[in-house]
This record gives sequence, C-alpha cells and structure tokens, in this order.
Amino acid sequence: MFGLESWQTLLVDWRIFAQGLAQTVLASVLGLALALALGVVMGVLGVVPVRPLRWLNRFYVEFFQNTPLLTQVFFYYYGLPRLGLRLPVLAVGVMGLGIYTGAYIAEIIRAGILSVHRGQLEAAFSQGFRYEEAMRYIILPQAFRVIMPPLTNQFVNLIKNSSILSFIAGYDLMYHADVWSSYNLLYGVAYVTIAALYLCLTLPTATLARRLERRMQATWGGSVS
Amino acid sequence: MEVGPLIEFRRVNKFFGSNHVLRDIDLTIPTNQKLVIIGPSGSGKSTLIRCINQLERVSSGQVLVDGVDVTAPGARLAEVRQDIGMVFQLFNLYPHKTVLENVTLAPEKVRGVPPEQAAETARYYLKRVGMLHKVNAYPAQLSGGQQQRVAIARALAMKPRFMLFDEPTSALDPEMIGEVLDVMTGLAHEGMTMVVVTHEIGFARQVADRILFLDNGEIAEDGPPAQVLDSPTNERTKSFLSKVLH
Ligand SMILES: Nc1ncnc2c1ncn2[C@@H]1O[C@H](COP(=O)(O)OP(=O)(O)O)[C@@H](O)[C@H]1O
Ligand SMILES: [Mg+2]
Repeated sequence: MFGLESWQTLLVDWRIFAQGLAQTVLASVLGLALALALGVVMGVLGVVPVRPLRWLNRFYVEFFQNTPLLTQVFFYYYGLPRLGLRLPVLAVGVMGLGIYTGAYIAEIIRAGILSVHRGQLEAAFSQGFRYEEAMRYIILPQAFRVIMPPLTNQFVNLIKNSSILSFIAGYDLMYHADVWSSYNLLYGVAYVTIAALYLCLTLPTATLARRLERRMQATWGGSVS
Repeated sequence: MEVGPLIEFRRVNKFFGSNHVLRDIDLTIPTNQKLVIIGPSGSGKSTLIRCINQLERVSSGQVLVDGVDVTAPGARLAEVRQDIGMVFQLFNLYPHKTVLENVTLAPEKVRGVPPEQAAETARYYLKRVGMLHKVNAYPAQLSGGQQQRVAIARALAMKPRFMLFDEPTSALDPEMIGEVLDVMTGLAHEGMTMVVVTHEIGFARQVADRILFLDNGEIAEDGPPAQVLDSPTNERTKSFLSKVLH
C-alpha cells in the first residue's frame, strides 16, 4: 500500500495536490483575516459598558461555538441560496471558517481584555483618552500579550478545520486527496501526504507565533504592576 | 473680573449600593491651593478625589471644574480630563510603552501634538522628575519610586490646570517615598494647584495650605495645617492623628 509505485503515481499527479493545497491556504488566510476582525470587534463588545452590545457578544459566541462548523457551512452553501443568496465556494469557506473561529477568538480577546489591570483604563481616562482610544492604544496591546498563545491554537485549528470544505463542491486539499485516492485506490499515500502538507502549514504558524510571543515578553521586561 | 473657584462640590452624595460613602460634601477649592486630604482607610478619600475627574460618578449633587458641571449628563468628560492630571497609588504606567512613550502618548493621541514636540516636552518633564536617564526603559525595569516619578511627568506633560494625587507614596518602599515627595514639593512651590490624598503628615504640614480630615464620608475638619494637625476640634481627628503621628 505504501510501495514505491504508489508514491510514483502520486508524484505524477502532484498538480492535483498542489491545487488543493493552494485552495486550502487561500481559504485559511482569508478565513483567518475574517476571524480576527470579527473576533476583535465581538470580543471588545463583550466588555463595553453597554448591555445590549454585551448581549450581542454572548449570542454570537454561544451560537457559533455550540453548533457544528459543518452545519454552519452547509447552511451557507445549501441554505442561503434558498434565501436568494448564492455565494461562490471560496466565499462560503471563508465565511464558515471566519465566523466560526471568530467566536472562539472573541472569547479569547474578551478574557484578554479582562485580564488587563483596571487601573490601566483609569489612567487612560484620566488623561482624556476616549473609550475607543484607550482600547486601541492601551488595553488591546496589553491584552494581546495574554491572547497570543490561545490565538495561535485557533489559527492552527482553523487551518485543520478548513478540511471540512471538502464536503462542499470540490474544494480544498482534503477533497482533492479524497477524489484522487478513490480513483487510484491508493488511500495510504494520499492521506500521509496531505497530513504532511497540513503539518507544513500548521507547524510554521505555531512556531512563528511562539517566536512573536517571546519577543513581546522580552521587550516589555519582567513583571508588570 | 471675579474669578470663580477651580473645583466645587455642591451637596455631593455617593452610594456604593447601600454603602453611603460621601455625605453631603460641600467643598470649594480655589486656584493655586494645595489641599491635602487625610482620614482613615475607607473614609471616602479616593472616592472624593475621583469624583473630581469623574472616574467615579456621583449619586447626587454636582461637581464643577472651572465652572463646568462635570456631573451633568452629556458632560464632555474626555475634554475635561485632558486638563486634570492624576497620579495613582499603583502608578498605572503603561507597561507596553517605554518611559518616553508613556509621557508622549496622551499629548500625541489626545491633544494631537506633533511627535517631535511631544518628545521634547516629555524630556523636559522627565528631566524635572530626575528620570531623563531612563527614557528607553520599560516600567517593569524601574523601581516603584522611579515609576511614580515617571507617572508624575506623564501627567504634567498634558499641561494640566491642576493635579490630583491619590496616595502617591503608599505603595512605595520607605526609602523611595522621599524622592516622590520632593518632586511634589517642587511642583507645589511652582504654584501648581494640587489635591493630595496622603498619610504623609510631614509633607502635609510643609506643603499644604489647607487640610481636610475626612471621616465616614464627611468633612470632619477643614483648616490650615496648624489648626487641623495641632489643635483639632473633632475627637475622631484627634484619635486618627495620634495614630499616624505615633
Ligand atoms: N468600586 C467600588 N464598589 C463598591 N464599593 C466601593 C468601591 N470603591 C470604594 N468602595 C467603598 O467605599 C468606601 C470608601 O472607599 P474609598 O473612597 O476608597 O476610601 P479611602 O480612599 O478613604 O480608603 C469603602 O467602604 C469602600 O469599600
Ligand atoms: Mg483610597
């Protein structure tokens, strides 16, 4: 099953895997951007002194964390067209991954903000910063220090979760591997290969983030009062 | 021209739940006054001083700063606060910013001062508090006394109309208290209006031209240092002073 011939067959068709990889990378990068934007906005809404906005945060987080990603993606792909909105596959993927991961990031951001000493907001207010300015210049940069490690996990999860896009209309690395392996009846090599390709995406992401984290730690010096 | 008071409390009450923390406070602070507030822990000193820049909202009554009712709904607090410097017990420097950035941040982002000019002003005030040699350090690399001096420079760089100090030396090791009080004394001599909550009776005697003794949310004593410290009329003032003066 893992014989030389199988690998040769796979190599001949490398373009199929490359195309899948490219689609996965594209959906992941765009999904990440959306997840970050949504996560930051929704996370901040979770702490603002305006109750309806905090409710919005709770609804978003609870709803999207507690329904399966696959259900959400199927809804965008099969449900939205019924409502007259037909989106390209890539858009469905980006939306699905972005909104779902955004719910986890929002919760991480909210916890990160709450971990910043409340004296920081008071110092900022005392100097005449408005709430949004205080968030932007003083609270969020500090929250990010706490947020980085769990955020990295979410990035990695998003890349792995992008494999569920294989369930809709011929998209992503996972899908192409599936099709190729059932056509050639070579399952082993195909899945080993795509596992390696996913690792090629996730490991550098995790390493890069950890390095960034260490640099932040180093420049701020030791403990923070 | 008649010059009104700089800060005015009109029948201010403050509740935290059922806890009545400030009781019918009437208080008028003119420009240039050095007002020191003393009193037991929990008597409402922090709450009172924080009502001036509205870090704490009042439950009833009014606080006027330079004639502006800061307790009115829709008061432009961000604008009012730009002109009020505040120094906190725990310094509250921005830990992700260098010393210089701590001092330039608000002038640049709040007042819109160009960066070079903000840096120049920051260096001027950092020099005054004796912290110019640490412009590139981060707060975590400084001692408590150094952090508090930077915090004073940070407040001064906004060129405030007056300064609020809430127990600025209470979190400091004893050997660092002097360096911070020296900076504050210098500031007082230059004519800065100051409201200072402190337990440093020596500083109060030397610098204050008026001392309030706050007890259980009420102004129990109000007068010049000699009167409040040496011949208090109120029993609770006497017993408090006998404790802090040993
Ligand atoms: N944010 C708050 N929430 C509830 N109670 C508070 C709060 N801040 C202060 N208090 C209470 O108000 C009273 C006065 O506090 P404070 O003004 O800090 O006193 P002081 O500064 O004189 O020690 C205390 O009983 C304190 O527990
Ligand atoms: Mg206090």
